[in-house]
Amino acid sequence: MLRQASRARLFKEYKEVQREKSADPDIQLVCDDSNIFKWTALIKGPSETPYDGGVFQLAFSVPEQYPLQPPQVRFLTKIFHPNVHFKTGEICLDILKNAWSPAWTLQSVCRAIIALMAHPEADSPLNCDSGNLLRSGDIRGYQSMARMYTRLAAMPKKG
Amino acid sequence: MQDQEGHVADAGKETLTSVQTSEIEDWTKYKDDDIMQQQSSIQAEQAVKTQFVGDKEPLSSLEAEYHLGNSILLKKIKVLSEQYAALRRTRGDGNCFFRSFMFGYLELILESQDQSEVHRIKASIEECKKTLQSLGYAEFTFEDFFALFLEQLDSVLQGSEDSISHDELLRRSRDPSISDYVVMFFRFVTSGEIRKRSEFFEPFILGLTNASVEQFCKSSVEPMGEESDHVQIIALSDALGVPIRVVYLDRSSCENNSINVNHHDFVPTSDDMGNSGDPSITLLYRPGHYDILYPN
Repeated sequence: MLRQASRARLFKEYKEVQREKSADPDIQLVCDDSNIFKWTALIKGPSETPYDGGVFQLAFSVPEQYPLQPPQVRFLTKIFHPNVHFKTGEICLDILKNAWSPAWTLQSVCRAIIALMAHPEADSPLNCDSGNLLRSGDIRGYQSMARMYTRLAAMPKKG
Repeated sequence: MQDQEGHVADAGKETLTSVQTSEIEDWTKYKDDDIMQQQSSIQAEQAVKTQFVGDKEPLSSLEAEYHLGNSILLKKIKVLSEQYAALRRTRGDGNCFFRSFMFGYLELILESQDQSEVHRIKASIEECKKTLQSLGYAEFTFEDFFALFLEQLDSVLQGSEDSISHDELLRRSRDPSISDYVVMFFRFVTSGEIRKRSEFFEPFILGLTNASVEQFCKSSVEPMGEESDHVQIIALSDALGVPIRVVYLDRSSCENNSINVNHHDFVPTSDDMGNSGDPSITLLYRPGHYDILYPN
């Protein structure tokens, strides 16, 4: 019953994504061909951040209790950000944990993650190095590290 | 992670506190997923103790609960037992207010077979839908929850092939795939009402938290498991046009030693029909928790 309900909801989200494809050029959300509980997204790094120019891949794993429970989301693209685990890509974001509600969608989760990229929360770091740089006020250090990893991991190779 | 490596390097020096340190080390290994898993295992434990909605119990079971306890509470329970015959407990999972209201209301319709009330509340629900739409909620995010509640509402009315018995209502109220969806329906309705009348609710919310009305709804109304307070009760009662009585069982007492049990009636603002009678849904509030009360 729950699985059926989440499948129906995901199908609605799928149709909405198809319909609104051009509405949000920074997000490209794709459902796995064979499994509606698996999605990937490509999101553009927000401008005026060290992620500008990068394209980041996210992996969604949707539980059967969705939308009562949040999707699990992680970065597949390496990113240097205080709230993203450097090795696993795990994301520390309240709406993916206890502040989740069915009013959120996979699409709006992507928007929230883009907002998190632009506004890192240095006080709840999953990446301590990155968090410490920000907390100690070394904005330049944080930005240059983040920019370097954006170039290395999130930009298409030239030539 | 850095912290862990730091501890490993220091391990030799800190033999005396090694037990403590390794405990802390263990904590740093916990990821959010582990914490959420632990949370859900605590919930599972809780689930064994209390159903979402329990069986009807005589009020004396409340007395038994406090038999060695506070004398003010015991006196209050005596006073309560003059007016109320029974209670029905709900699970303390943060959804108890909504869950109590759900069962209380559907049971009321099942017993009264009040067609005009069903007609009335359906019109209110239609308004709630419009409210959410005008606030910018995508319809597909809430429509399933609305549809499921309307389905329950139709099925407690007898005389159709989908009609259900009291036992079936109880079973459904204990089934997460129905019960949690109805709770979520109420959360959407409550959030919509608060945001629609944000000027009215703002001072109450500012008194509770530092959050804006929108933040409050996002963090304290819409997520499952977030507890409800006056603000949510006022909003739900207003949005659906259903009066609710909340009876307070706490240790407060009067100076002259007389024992009263306080109650508060939440009467919808839209209630212009001069319904001066008592609200038909009565909840028992003990600090942090709501159960259902049945009058004599």
